[in-house]
Amino acid sequence: MRRTTIVFFVIVGVAVAIALFARLGPGKVTAVTGLIGSEKAPFFADVRVQRALARQGLQVTVQRAGSREIATRADLKSFDFAFPAGVPGAEKIRRESGASKASNVFFTPMVIASWKPIADLLVQQGIAANLGSYYTLDMAKFLELMKAEARWKDIPGNTAFTANKSVLITSTDVRTSNSAAMYLALMSYVANGNNIVQSLEAARPMLPVLSGLFLRQGLRPTSTQEPFEDYLVQGMGHSPIVIIYEAQYVAQAARGDGSIRPDMVLMYPTPTIFTKHVLVPFNEKGEKLAAALETDPELQKLAVEYGFRNSNLTYFREFTRKHNVTLPDNLVDVIEPPSYEVLEGLIQEIEKLYAQGGGVK
Amino acid sequence: MKMRFLVLACLLLATLLTGCAPQRTTLTVLAGSELQDLAPLLPQIERQTGVRLKMEYIGSLTGAEKLLAGADYDLVWFSHGKYLDLLGRQRGLVVAQEKIMLSPVVLGVKESKARELGWLNRPNVTWRDIADASNAGKLRFAMTNPTASNSGFTALVGVATALSGRGDALTLADVQATALRGFFKGQALTAGSSGWLAESYVASQNDLDGMINYESVLLDLNETGKVREKLALIYPEEGIITADYPLMLLDKGQRAAYDRLAGYLRSPDFQKELMAKTLRRPAIPGVALDRRIPDRLLVELPFPNTADVLDALLFSYLDEQRVPAHAYFVLDVSGSMQGDGLAGLQKALNGLTGQDTSLTGRFARFRGREKITVITFNQSVQPSQDFLIDDTQPQGADMRRIRDFVGRLQASGNTAIYSALAEAYRLAAVAQQREPERYYTIVLMSDGANNSGLSAEQFRALYDQLPPDARSIRTFTVIFGKAERAIMEQIATTTGGRTFDGTKDPLDFIFKQIRGYQ
Repeated sequence: MRRTTIVFFVIVGVAVAIALFARLGPGKVTAVTGLIGSEKAPFFADVRVQRALARQGLQVTVQRAGSREIATRADLKSFDFAFPAGVPGAEKIRRESGASKASNVFFTPMVIASWKPIADLLVQQGIAANLGSYYTLDMAKFLELMKAEARWKDIPGNTAFTANKSVLITSTDVRTSNSAAMYLALMSYVANGNNIVQSLEAARPMLPVLSGLFLRQGLRPTSTQEPFEDYLVQGMGHSPIVIIYEAQYVAQAARGDGSIRPDMVLMYPTPTIFTKHVLVPFNEKGEKLAAALETDPELQKLAVEYGFRNSNLTYFREFTRKHNVTLPDNLVDVIEPPSYEVLEGLIQEIEKLYAQGGGVK
Repeated sequence: MKMRFLVLACLLLATLLTGCAPQRTTLTVLAGSELQDLAPLLPQIERQTGVRLKMEYIGSLTGAEKLLAGADYDLVWFSHGKYLDLLGRQRGLVVAQEKIMLSPVVLGVKESKARELGWLNRPNVTWRDIADASNAGKLRFAMTNPTASNSGFTALVGVATALSGRGDALTLADVQATALRGFFKGQALTAGSSGWLAESYVASQNDLDGMINYESVLLDLNETGKVREKLALIYPEEGIITADYPLMLLDKGQRAAYDRLAGYLRSPDFQKELMAKTLRRPAIPGVALDRRIPDRLLVELPFPNTADVLDALLFSYLDEQRVPAHAYFVLDVSGSMQGDGLAGLQKALNGLTGQDTSLTGRFARFRGREKITVITFNQSVQPSQDFLIDDTQPQGADMRRIRDFVGRLQASGNTAIYSALAEAYRLAAVAQQREPERYYTIVLMSDGANNSGLSAEQFRALYDQLPPDARSIRTFTVIFGKAERAIMEQIATTTGGRTFDGTKDPLDFIFKQIRGYQ
């Protein structure tokens, strides 16, 4: 009886101490709240991240929202910062909120998750190249296949995946999701003969092809996690070729839980495009968080563990090697998205087609 | 005593660390009826998450209608949420969703039939092959009504997408151009729910060659030995559509409880248990497939991107593609129906002529090519009235004729249930000779005891003398007012139909439900 009582008090004492420390910390703590793209939620939920932030005197609470939906939130300015994926989403938020600053905190290349039999078939066709631990995919040539409305079974020499469905890259819903917007940005560049589209007028002739890349896929999810999870769970028949963030693949591989199987392959589109994770602060508290994420070495390291790239390339290299994923650390053929107006204009045109019944123009 | 202290201490620790202990809370769930098999797992879910799930089971379309009308639930859980997603996306109805388990909708065919058709162990059977067999009268299958049940809905989208011959998601133009009549020629049993369909398949398995349903339902029938002959599962080469059972959050304020719940449901241990108990596939990576579930390539067909396409597809199914129906309505107009009873009946019938403009009402309407025979009765059976629907417009002549007839109904006298039902079978048997290609059903609504005309035994004797095809016509009974529950249930059981309780739900709601079985 006496021993239990002592144990009881010891436990309670420790609990109180930990709780007080966690809440008050060593010095003054600034509470910061933000609206973030869901792909960064696990990062902020990590206790190590919370501890590192606490050392900087920050206690961060986040709410999740679609990166392209954040700007339209009525309560946007009640937060201290927004942290969407993608420059276009951040620009939209900046315009809505009148915020003057924005920091590129992390970035991640857009990549394509596929399957060895399909990748090898594409290599045979001269559309992809096998670089050992990953592949590259020639987007101009792949676009030709999609434009011609080819079916998988029609690709010469294909015995590996003879499905009747169209050759299309699986993406999210371009109306609401950043990764699909990045895919659109990339394909507008490729369809324009490897040039950034300068105006909506110039893009108009490409609209039937570009809108088809999305409409022909049918109903798509709004969150980027879903297509990747479908790929992992439902396999090649469901998701033969999917556009995702590199960070998703790296973070999954790092878990080492066997969910990345030997027949899964990563392809780097050529050219490719980066998704920048842009923190838009609405006040000083938000600015303080941006500075911490950009400069604190511990936070930079932790971001890498969630697959994001940042200025600390050495650690990215170290981390991926440790988890047996060898990835290109210096991507050269990287394009910029078209201007905010052009990309939004294109998305709005595609939105109209959905409203008219979802057929391609 | 010791334990209690430690537990208390740990609880206090948890409270201080997290700000609050996992709260006990109850969440209301609007759920598809196919999720009733999860009931045994609910106590365990509550223990592990502190979340008690208060399930209310409902058909998919009725559920969608309820939600769009603003019904207040914390969660929604159906076999798939795509229709709701398309209808409700602009309104931001769904706050979050996570897939909980997977089951593709496929065709199960008796092994002997599969051998006969050359499909046994052939990996590349196509929807086209199935359509050809059905069209040639070589395949009689069961499938739910796509407007009432998700398995039929999913199958329809899959078949139409495959037979459109294109590789993309179905468009309005494809719906107009794709002929599915041949495919549906062999649909010999329809139903408003996947569960009832499976039971009815078991009950009349001698008359059917197979069934379209969730893989999990078909595997379960094989596993439990409910079927005399095992079903070979056919995964057509063009692809299938997988039900993914998303758990959807509607109430933003319940985010924390939702995250806890979804986290547990998607944990590897629970996923394994779920798979073992329900034969549905896991929804998270890294869980090895149960050896009873075939480990094969599942080609997923694209799903249409607008609700307009789905609506067009459903109406096309009802008005053009499906086997046309001949529905008999045997209706009690005895004295006790006077007043509210008759008014309720009239409202229910008029609703089916287009006056009910709700989501469910639009799909329950009398359909193009459909024949309707109304037999009213009190102590005597009144002359039957036939209607043929060419024009589905609510204000068109065909629908007006029905409403005119309904408006003239009057209630008086006694109740001769069996005489009226016998007349319906006699007429249906004759009609079947003339038009064997139609799908025949009988609805029997009564609010009293049989106190006139034929007895139960006399009816049974007449029924037993009917030709086999006529005997296979199912009667769906509606208990109303002071109807004798036992005899209405007996009739449904004898004929392979189902009983609906009009003392609990209004008649118009019940008639719309029954339309799923016609």
